[in-house]
Amino acid sequence: MGRVVAIAGFNLSLLTSPLAIVIVLSLVVGLLMVVVFGHTSDQKAIGIAKDQLKAHLLAVRLYRDQIPVVMGSYGKILRGTGRYLKLAFKPLLYVIIPIILLMVQVDRYLGQTPIPTNAPFLLTVHTTSSDGFNNATLDLPPEITMTAPAVHIPAENEIVWRLAGARDGKYEVKIAAAGQSVAKAVCVGTNLVRISTVRLRGHFWERMFSSAEPALPDDSPIESISINYPDRNIEIAGYGMNWIWLFFILSMIVGFIFKELLGIQI
Amino acid sequence: MKRPCGAGALARLRAADIKSRDMHDRPPVHRARKHFAGGGARATWVLLIALIFLPALAHAYAGPGAGFAVLSSFWAIFVAFLYSFYALMTWPVRQLFRFLRRRNAYGKATFERAVILGFDGMDPELAERFMKEGRLPNLAKLRDTGTFSKLRTTFPPISPVAWSTFMTGVNPGKHNIYDFLGRDTSNYLPYLSSAEIRGPKRHIKIGKYSIPFGKTQIKAMRKGTPFWHWLGNAGIFSSVIRVPVTFPPERFQGVLLSGMCVPDLKGSQGTFCLCTTRASDDKFREGGVRVAIERKNGVCRSYVPGPDNPLIEKGGELRADFEIRPELGSKSARFVFGSEKFTLKIGEYSEWLPAEFKAGMGFTAHGICRFYLKGLSPEVEVYVTPVNIDPGHPDLPISHPVTYSIYLAKLFGPYATLGLAEDTWALNEHVLDDDAFLAQAYGNHEDRERMLFDALDKTKQGLCTCVFDTTDRVQHMFWRYLEEDHPAARDVPHSQHPPVIQELYERMDRLVGRVMEKIDDDTLLLVISDHGFKSFARCMNVNAWLHQNGYLALKDGKTESGDWFDDVDWSRTRAYTMGLNGLYLNIKGREKQGIVDPAEADALKGELQKKLNGLVDPASGTVGITGVFIADNVYRGPYTDNSPDLIVGYAAGYRASWDSVMGKVTGQIFEDNIKAWSGDHCIDPRLVPGVLFSSHKFIEDKPAIVDVAPTILKLFGIALPGHFDGKAWTLAAKAH
Repeated sequence: MGRVVAIAGFNLSLLTSPLAIVIVLSLVVGLLMVVVFGHTSDQKAIGIAKDQLKAHLLAVRLYRDQIPVVMGSYGKILRGTGRYLKLAFKPLLYVIIPIILLMVQVDRYLGQTPIPTNAPFLLTVHTTSSDGFNNATLDLPPEITMTAPAVHIPAENEIVWRLAGARDGKYEVKIAAAGQSVAKAVCVGTNLVRISTVRLRGHFWERMFSSAEPALPDDSPIESISINYPDRNIEIAGYGMNWIWLFFILSMIVGFIFKELLGIQI
Repeated sequence: MKRPCGAGALARLRAADIKSRDMHDRPPVHRARKHFAGGGARATWVLLIALIFLPALAHAYAGPGAGFAVLSSFWAIFVAFLYSFYALMTWPVRQLFRFLRRRNAYGKATFERAVILGFDGMDPELAERFMKEGRLPNLAKLRDTGTFSKLRTTFPPISPVAWSTFMTGVNPGKHNIYDFLGRDTSNYLPYLSSAEIRGPKRHIKIGKYSIPFGKTQIKAMRKGTPFWHWLGNAGIFSSVIRVPVTFPPERFQGVLLSGMCVPDLKGSQGTFCLCTTRASDDKFREGGVRVAIERKNGVCRSYVPGPDNPLIEKGGELRADFEIRPELGSKSARFVFGSEKFTLKIGEYSEWLPAEFKAGMGFTAHGICRFYLKGLSPEVEVYVTPVNIDPGHPDLPISHPVTYSIYLAKLFGPYATLGLAEDTWALNEHVLDDDAFLAQAYGNHEDRERMLFDALDKTKQGLCTCVFDTTDRVQHMFWRYLEEDHPAARDVPHSQHPPVIQELYERMDRLVGRVMEKIDDDTLLLVISDHGFKSFARCMNVNAWLHQNGYLALKDGKTESGDWFDDVDWSRTRAYTMGLNGLYLNIKGREKQGIVDPAEADALKGELQKKLNGLVDPASGTVGITGVFIADNVYRGPYTDNSPDLIVGYAAGYRASWDSVMGKVTGQIFEDNIKAWSGDHCIDPRLVPGVLFSSHKFIEDKPAIVDVAPTILKLFGIALPGHFDGKAWTLAAKAH
């Protein structure tokens, strides 16, 4: 019984591994994107544009002894490529926004790993005023310890603390400055969790793409609090790569397969 | 004459030999072309603006779709760049090589370029008449500033014969083409004279499958060397488009798209299909098959017949299914054919559509066809063109290099590749009406025009030649309207005869005009035809005459034979005819059941010549045959053994009967021709010369089609091969 549970647990962990998630995600996104591309593009025009490009490529080969024809075909290839990209632009607009939003969210989980237990990491605070800079203090939970005194960089209004987590878990460290206190989440361990590398004040678009925490209060003397989480690499055949590259390659492959199966011109 | 009367029967007869069996293991081409109707501009702009404000990860991922687009276009540019770089880098080396090998290819050339437009069957008398009426201003300009003359044709005046002579510069005795059909002396059956196609010799048996191993073998039966090969050897480039009897395509320096004699995917010279809900056991005499449409719950289902399954012995023909859903009001219908979905109104053609025939084990034959919706009520009837070899995915080579047909397909879309692309038999069999036939013929013609102008753009030096078949097909099928009392148009008052042939000549003249705009004085333009045209009002069954005059015997009790001499008693037969003009003796030692002593053959030839020459049609009292020519007197060369023994030259208005062509003996010798195929040229060659127009003046009394090859070689400064039968014309002066 215990063996069964162990095997089930092993399989489950495989299914929830970053690699499995990227594979599943690539399959789903690859299929969806091809379908969306097929329905939002002028398939006939794209087909013709591609055929024309191929024809001009063949012309270069067929008339290779006739330099004016070769050069003319080359010009037509460039023009044809422009036309083709123009036709692909509209469906690109339809797919790129949902894809980016999705990727931002997935990146929270797969972009970085939590801080390993007992491994030092840096907590960096940017302040807007010298008051905040000079009086900032750190309030740590028991599981997080400071391993070195704070380093103040006045030229950049920046304070850096070196910390370490003793146990797996999600904790809050509090930074007090100029009479206000704000918190920053810290993830320690090995689990696949949602990670926010930075907490920001304002900076709407940057928060959209980089942060998974609420904005700092507008009147806070602190502009940002960041943690240097290690980047996550997914191992494939001995090579580590960022999940985005893997997603890019796999979704392209899936897309190529589905475009053939569904008869969609890309 | 394009489609021999025996083409369809020949297709059935020789199906086993001439099937297209080169079915490659390639994945099906999905060419679904969906139209996206939605997606407003407003949404696009909203998304565009949003994208501008999403800077962070937008650059990180292109994804399937946009990613493909970027990668694909980059790939195209990259490949083009590599090609261009290669071409540029190696060009000086290749030029130097050519220079050292051939010196300057154009050094002795009188012209930089020769453009030859072949208007198959353009008749000099009609051309002259229409020029006189002011309908052909461009041809008249050529006549006035250059040359206009009759162009002597070949014995017999049939397109494959004449065009073979055109390209090789020799008589049929040296190029081996005497008709569309040759006859097999071992069994008296016909074979296609231009090419022989056989499947791979070896097969691997896996279960019920027998997988062909090796290449399809295509053997060219036409001998002799086309003059563009001589040009190529001298470093002169040629673009050759749809010249008849260029299948299989041969290697040379230039590009070539094969013309007449390219088979369809079934291996025949064109088998159309009529899909119908109308119950009928009738079979078409030639060129087509009838397929039932099954109607159930408002949905009609049928199929397009394809080639025989090459993987299974007696596996039957492959099929491509389709579905028709008549729409409200029964004026149009929605079709689903493979991955294609389209709507046709009654009387409308589809575009060329991919037709895939899956044989199993991943083998697929690729063709293209067009649908024509004939009617929806009370019966559903759909005409489907013969399934042409897909030029973008050719299962048999139809061009040199192979990529040339693909290039044209990518540039202009799919096009007809069948040698006899205009479906004359469908009109003959009343499956198509006049308008539908003309729409099909001119559709093909427009494709051909696009190819010509592309070739003109690409061939600034060298030879550019293109043959247009429309002139031939339309004259064959609409001559009936040119005459007051043609048997095939007696039900239509003469005043209501449409001016189809006049409009055809005007169209060809406009084409000449557009070509003239593209050329300068350093280009020689020739407009030629392989033969002229005459009425075909009366049919003559020479086999019947031979039977009634004791030269051909039927088995006891028979008064008529079947097709291809079924019920002919060869042990008592001395002469027979098949094909359009050829008459054969049943010679001992040559034919399998020959009885004529070779020593007596000359006497028999003379006897037949004497009796047939001047034969009178008793119904009208006019002469039906104006000349019978003994082959030994008109042919010379290494292939004369394959020629008919006599060539029958019919009078204007006469031609071999439909039955006679198919080796059938009937009771009647003469009869009216009531088919739409109402004009012809397979008669006495002296009565149907072709035309010669030239942009430059030639001094030549009686130019012949055999002279074209030597003339072109001479104008490019190339020494004429000794075996040529034609002579080069003398150029008077360059026109300005």
